[in-house]
Amino acid sequence: MKKIFIIILSTGFLMSSCSKKLEILPTQSIDESIVFTSDANIKAALVGAYDGVSAASLFGGDLQLYSELQAADGEIRWAGTFNQPREIYLKDILTNNSYVTATYNRAYYTINICNNILAAIDIVDEDDRDRVKGEALFIRGTVYFELVKLYAKPYSGGNMSTPGLQLITTPTLGNISESNFVPRSSLADTYALILADLTQSKSLLPGQNDVYATTYAASAILSRVYLQMADYPKARDEANTIIESDEFALNSTYAAAFNNTSNSPEDIFAIQVTAQDGSNDMFVFWSTLPNGARDGDVDVLNKHISLYDTADARLGLFFPDGVNIFRSGKWRLQYRNLSIVRLAEMYLTRAECNFRLGTAVGATPDEDINETIRDRAALGPVAITLASILFERKLELAHEGQAIHDVKRLKGNVDGFAFDAKELVFPIPIREINAVGDILEQNEGYN
Amino acid sequence: MRKLPLLGLAMFLMVSQLLFAQTKTISGKVTDRRDGSPLPGVSVQVKGTSTGAVTGTDGTFSFTAPASASTLVVSSLGFDSQEIAVSGSLLSISLVNEESRNLEEIVVVGYGTKIKKDLTGNIATVKGSEIQGTPVSNFNQALQGRAAGVFVEANNGKVGEGVKILIRGSSSISGSNAPLYVIDGVPINTSTYSGNAIADINFNDVESFDILKDASAASIYGSRAANGVVLITTKKGKAGKTVVQLNSQYGTNRPTNLRGFLNASEYVELIREAAINSDLADGYDPLDPANYPDSYLEYVELTMDDISGHTSWRDGLTNTNWEKKAFNYDAKTYAVDVSASGGTEKTKFYLSSSLNRQDGILIGNNFRRISARFNLDHAVSEQFKVGFNLSVAQTTANRVSADNAFSTPMQIVALSPITPFANEDGVPYNSPVTTYPNPYVDYTDGKYESITYRNIGNVFGQYNFTPSIFFRTEFGIDVQNQNDDQFYGFNTDAGSGTNGYGESDWFRSLDYNVNNYFTFKKMFGQKHDFDATAGMSYQRYNSEYAEIYGQQFPVEDLKKLASSALITGGTSVESNSSFLSYFARANYKFDNKYLLALSGRIDGSSRFGKDNQYGFFPAVSAGWIMSEESFMRNSSILSFLKIRGSWGLTGNAEGFGDFGSLGLWNAGSYNGTSGLTPTQLANSKLQWEKSDQVDIGIDFGFLRNRISGQIDFYNRKTKDLIYNVPVPSNSGFTTQLTNVGSMQNKGFEFVLNTENVILGGFRWSSNINASFNRNKLLKLDGSQTIIPGNDGRYLNSLIVGESIGVFYGPKYAGVDPANGDALYYQADGKTTTASYNAAGNFVVGNPNPKVIAGFGNTFSFKGIELNVLFQGVFGNQVMNGAGGFMSASFDYFDNQTREILDRWQNPGDITNEPQVRFLGGNGISASSRYIFDADYVRLKNITLAYNIPAALVRKFRISSAKVYVTAVNLITFTDYPGWDPEVNTDYRGATNGNRNQGADFYAAPQIRNISFGLNLGF
Repeated sequence: MKKIFIIILSTGFLMSSCSKKLEILPTQSIDESIVFTSDANIKAALVGAYDGVSAASLFGGDLQLYSELQAADGEIRWAGTFNQPREIYLKDILTNNSYVTATYNRAYYTINICNNILAAIDIVDEDDRDRVKGEALFIRGTVYFELVKLYAKPYSGGNMSTPGLQLITTPTLGNISESNFVPRSSLADTYALILADLTQSKSLLPGQNDVYATTYAASAILSRVYLQMADYPKARDEANTIIESDEFALNSTYAAAFNNTSNSPEDIFAIQVTAQDGSNDMFVFWSTLPNGARDGDVDVLNKHISLYDTADARLGLFFPDGVNIFRSGKWRLQYRNLSIVRLAEMYLTRAECNFRLGTAVGATPDEDINETIRDRAALGPVAITLASILFERKLELAHEGQAIHDVKRLKGNVDGFAFDAKELVFPIPIREINAVGDILEQNEGYN
Repeated sequence: MRKLPLLGLAMFLMVSQLLFAQTKTISGKVTDRRDGSPLPGVSVQVKGTSTGAVTGTDGTFSFTAPASASTLVVSSLGFDSQEIAVSGSLLSISLVNEESRNLEEIVVVGYGTKIKKDLTGNIATVKGSEIQGTPVSNFNQALQGRAAGVFVEANNGKVGEGVKILIRGSSSISGSNAPLYVIDGVPINTSTYSGNAIADINFNDVESFDILKDASAASIYGSRAANGVVLITTKKGKAGKTVVQLNSQYGTNRPTNLRGFLNASEYVELIREAAINSDLADGYDPLDPANYPDSYLEYVELTMDDISGHTSWRDGLTNTNWEKKAFNYDAKTYAVDVSASGGTEKTKFYLSSSLNRQDGILIGNNFRRISARFNLDHAVSEQFKVGFNLSVAQTTANRVSADNAFSTPMQIVALSPITPFANEDGVPYNSPVTTYPNPYVDYTDGKYESITYRNIGNVFGQYNFTPSIFFRTEFGIDVQNQNDDQFYGFNTDAGSGTNGYGESDWFRSLDYNVNNYFTFKKMFGQKHDFDATAGMSYQRYNSEYAEIYGQQFPVEDLKKLASSALITGGTSVESNSSFLSYFARANYKFDNKYLLALSGRIDGSSRFGKDNQYGFFPAVSAGWIMSEESFMRNSSILSFLKIRGSWGLTGNAEGFGDFGSLGLWNAGSYNGTSGLTPTQLANSKLQWEKSDQVDIGIDFGFLRNRISGQIDFYNRKTKDLIYNVPVPSNSGFTTQLTNVGSMQNKGFEFVLNTENVILGGFRWSSNINASFNRNKLLKLDGSQTIIPGNDGRYLNSLIVGESIGVFYGPKYAGVDPANGDALYYQADGKTTTASYNAAGNFVVGNPNPKVIAGFGNTFSFKGIELNVLFQGVFGNQVMNGAGGFMSASFDYFDNQTREILDRWQNPGDITNEPQVRFLGGNGISASSRYIFDADYVRLKNITLAYNIPAALVRKFRISSAKVYVTAVNLITFTDYPGWDPEVNTDYRGATNGNRNQGADFYAAPQIRNISFGLNLGF
């Protein structure tokens, strides 16, 4: 009978101590209420924002890929098997395109982190508060800028009341709220927010900030925004600020600007990629199997190769992979940084704006083009015209993600589509329309 | 072998008895009570001794026993043991077959047992002996077609991997749809790191599977029971002579079907045609040399030069059948099982050990299980019993990648037939000569070995206070230790460019469980039969895994991460949850006619927020045995009739994740610095899914139960279904886990068992089961009625009023005879359009079967027995998600299925196959073009066995011997054009696994096995 008592006693013990047995907390996650309570946590969330913006579907390569595929114009070809990039390449995008959806989702995911940081900014140590705020604003403004270029009609189209983006500036905490069920703001309002975020971040950010955003990174993105808006004086001045700062220098060779494991002197802002961390979809799709990528999904065609002078150092970066197929050497190696803005672009922007405005702020277009850009490419001088400046820009920045945005602002056309064609605008992802409801307006041609 | 000394001892005892005791001869004949046929191989022994004999083919036996022998124990596998008083010298004994649908059969219910006649719920029982030796790795596959209302579907033909089991349909959108498995009282863990946790169980040790289907049967398991419960009882020893059994079998595995692709000349003809069509569509003729440069035709021909390797596509000499390269034509299966059982009145045991080896049909895929079991019962005293059941298993599997990986063997079919298999040195070609990375290289240069150690066991004690009340306590554990070791060489998809890729994953899970309960059972007066059970249960799950990945190996021979120069990542993850439960049940029977049962369970779980931590799950059921009424008792036709009805509530807490209600941030990182990133939107109201089920049934028997059966109607409504409801992604989140919906499963089950012919020694019996289930989604979140799932490849959607996962999307309207465009119907259902974006959306298919059925037949004549089981699934469709690659009108270099030969070529052509267009995307997005009827009837299992007459084998000291040949999936009847209609690709299960049904994507066909076996008893 003794055994029985032991059993019954132990049963009783089990039953009495049970309620505690249901209290189990996660070990790999923390509750959202704990995140925004300390300086250290908010700074950790800021790293999270960079993690967000560096994802494959944003600056981890897809934003750059989309731009180049849309502007293909017979110079490159999507030869890969994935349908989604092919739809973008063919300008025949389905509203459920998973790449288009992922980029949209990731953008707002990153924006939400920034909104959380900005809402809790007073908790950050005063010494670092401006910098943290500046970085959050930089990321938010930059992401909105990338989105508006893809998912709305171009600024150069001239219609400022056309739909821009859903502008969300408050954090999501606890639950979804009414502020998430909003229509798209106008293109004008969207650009206004982007300018406000970037301008403020420019004033808050320091000149040096390890690999993170600096005041010059904000200026560089601002110069792109102003170029889209054809505000050439401001675009020129932002570019000039960066060049004159002496924080950056062109690499001695063109090739040295690419395939780097740490920022080169030319990088104003770059996404850091290591074996443990970060994605580089430009490498994945543009490089080849022997390099550890897919099997060369983007072919560079003769039409592009033949644009280069045979002496051009930039031509040497292409490597052949088949008879008529070249690969861009800019994305050849695995686990390499993605340069987002580099100094060469600022010279080109300054030259173009100076030329358009008949000014010589910082330097003459001839100096910037012939003595700086072409000289490094081992090329002799050319006559400076707007066309020659833009041609130089096209080659210098080839396959780095600027192609379609230059086509749009310069009102050109690609593959038979005009710069403001509805086919060159992404659809708002169908899942977002379904989730938000009819107040979210779809882009023209996708209904 | 301990057997020989034992036998020797027995013989010595017999001899000594002959010499020194007064003896008598006992002889007689053993027959089957149902039909009087003689039973061979039956053990007849004097109780408490080992004196006895085994019957011959004519059922007779004869032996010499001490004069004092008064009681005989008669036992045989598959029959109830009997004790017979010795009277006279010629005995006539008839045995009751356990499988004879006998109404006195004991059925295992939760925390107890019951006589089948007295059941008020619906429980399907499959005896272990019915599936013994079936050459499959997972008992669920062996159960396929054998129980009404139980739908079993293997994802694909990979051995030892995913098998879906649904009891009375799907009841959850996002939670688990799998039943709870309980082995000897211990709820086991069905989640694992990779592979299938059920495949660790040696089902030859199983005495019975009792599948609790309706709410009254299952609700004693409360929050775990909404998907039904499978109670597994392992074999126990019986007092008496030790029975040793040996089973050995050997067989081959082959794919059920090959679908066929284009040969080289067809490939060249069609891809050139496709390129020319695309060029013409762009406005130039590539056959004009001036237009040739940069044309599609040039691109295709130059690429064909590249992918022809050392040969040339122009001469047509290379014609590689890649599909065949995916399979291992030397796949074998091998199994040995040895068991011993026996014991004394006080101590009984069952021991077994087994080896089961199955080569998969795919290259690089195989499975091996080594297991042992020891079950022991001991009576300490008249009142106090103790015992344990313990199993240990090691499972070793060589896995292949998921169906969507380039490296999975079946994706080899995408390669071009103009590409030679190997180069001039005999080395298999790889990308870029092959159009995609060649999976064969992963087979030769890669490995993915998974080893699991699984330990399931329990210890119990039972104390009988009085004859009518006892207390039982059980402590059970389920431990899994798993190691997945992967290495991919320098030329593989995963390892190229990085000098190899290695991964080492370690997983451990511990699940422990305590049950304590009292049972009271008493007859009051002559007519009031009452029993009750009450107790508690506590269960705790813990699992942890660690992963590490590395690259840069010096040589391919060094495969462990110790040789990796670059460790690229690693992680360790832990998960915990617990359940605390109190349960009670009472049964009352009046006058052997009227039955009433009540049960209730309160469950608490750590998985829910404080406010919704506990749930209550009651059930009530009643039955009326009409055939016991005086007005029916004398019917010569109707021998049994029972009407029963039940209602109950059950819950589901599986598949939610452990912390679904919290708003969570996880670690993220950038530039080697750690940070925090949001991962989950909070939902403080998250709670159980609840199923409310009504079941009305009739059990009947005619002609002394020669015809018997069961008819059940049920209606199960599940509410508070959790779903990751899409939310505006401008919030930073795309979904929120919410209790949104409700779903209904209504159905009808029919079981009929018949003894068709009993004539002399010939016997033919049949059993038929058919189940009709209609699944209907009643509500999503209240505002949305459609959550479309068109992701470009699949159309599984959630639509109110339709079944879960129906295919919803564009309806293919065939081909425009004028230009070869693929057409779709617009929203009006009549007008057609060539624009996919302009197409309307329709429900174009349903992956849920309307009817599932099984039809088994047993024929026996003398020692020969033939078992034939047909199994069928009807009324469902399957979508080929790879249609956009393999049946894509030559959109790319993928080799194409043979329907493409009927393509549109000239204006006026009437066909269903669009014009081929290279990179033309002609009709290749997800639509009903890729949806097919997937009804099938399969000869699931056929076994022909011969019992060698005992007289022939006795001199080898063998008491019974059986040789047999058995086949699984021998013949399949279907119109499905793909590899196999039983399919659901394995890579779509991680999210929306319940919705994502009926999908084919390079899924391997099922395995057809033919095995020969030998079964010996000692």
